[in-house]
Amino acid sequence: MKSEKIFKHTSPARVGIGGPVGSGKTALIEKLIPTLEARGIEVAVVTNDLVTKEDAERLKRSGLIDPDRVRAVETGACPHTAIREDPTLNIQAADDLAAEFPSVGIIIIESGGDNLASTFSLDLVDYWLFVIDTAGGDDIPRKKGPGIIRSDLLVINKIDLAPLVGSDLELMEKDANEVRGDRPMVMTNCATGEGIVAIVNQLSRDVLFDA
Amino acid sequence: MMTLTDIIGFTTDENISGRLHDLSHSNDVEYIVLERENTLRKRLRVTGDKGTDCAIALSRDQKLEDGCVLHLDDNRAIVLRMAQEHWLSVKPADSAAAVELGYFAGNLHWRVRFDGDIMLIAIEGPIDFYLGRLQPYLDDGRARVLSDE
Repeated sequence: MKSEKIFKHTSPARVGIGGPVGSGKTALIEKLIPTLEARGIEVAVVTNDLVTKEDAERLKRSGLIDPDRVRAVETGACPHTAIREDPTLNIQAADDLAAEFPSVGIIIIESGGDNLASTFSLDLVDYWLFVIDTAGGDDIPRKKGPGIIRSDLLVINKIDLAPLVGSDLELMEKDANEVRGDRPMVMTNCATGEGIVAIVNQLSRDVLFDA
Repeated sequence: MMTLTDIIGFTTDENISGRLHDLSHSNDVEYIVLERENTLRKRLRVTGDKGTDCAIALSRDQKLEDGCVLHLDDNRAIVLRMAQEHWLSVKPADSAAAVELGYFAGNLHWRVRFDGDIMLIAIEGPIDFYLGRLQPYLDDGRARVLSDE
């Protein structure tokens, strides 16, 4: 696999995906896995849930990934504590996956659903995405939460729902660009896969160094 | 794209400093300048001050630090420099305001340090964001900004 050619002697890229409950983080991962694998990048995933392993079980059942390459972290408390204040459990899970599957090129770490203040520790990940969705309201970008401002890549998901829920997609894009400066943003519809290639292109450039 | 996968040493290392000095005469030392937070990353794509597109991919046990040397040969060197940190100095009006301000900064997960009764807030993004959040304190006099250097 191509993963083995990319800095074989260093560890896989670690990419965080955060965002509010129901914004589409797991759905995004379900689209990223086959797109990355199609480019020869092997994937492993660490999920975070409050008191269950729901997201991990969903991915294991999906048929998209070897179930052994999915690990679940039960945060037991506010999800951001496990990705920012004390990411030990997630670091351990990622270390274990890297050791067990040396051909993996990227480890995706999905945060539990959280609020707009959620951010990842860069001790844990090399790069992180923040996912919001049009159904959450078109005022979300201009609320300037740290997740929106500081993430490496902002994803605005469920663009197909915007007209149905009265969200102004152009306004969301304009506000997001204003508060993020030159940091990138991608619009997605994870139900159809629209926008997924743009995300993978960004990851390929910034952390996989394949573009 | 130039790939950099190891920290070779530091600018102060005896076996490196002389070579860097020689290369600097021919202007062949390139610097990568990173904000403090970004030095925590093990993988990142950055551009050096001479325009070299660099892909840094370190093992998990290596850490980017000010002065670490990422490339060194007879023709060129690439050295990492940490960007100067900027701090917003805020002085609370009294002890009650200080307690409130401390809680507020902690709740926002701001990185702070203290100089006597002055709170120094690390600026890790647009300063307007910080000033905006502090505005209620500044408006009613519970705190005032001394400097943003």
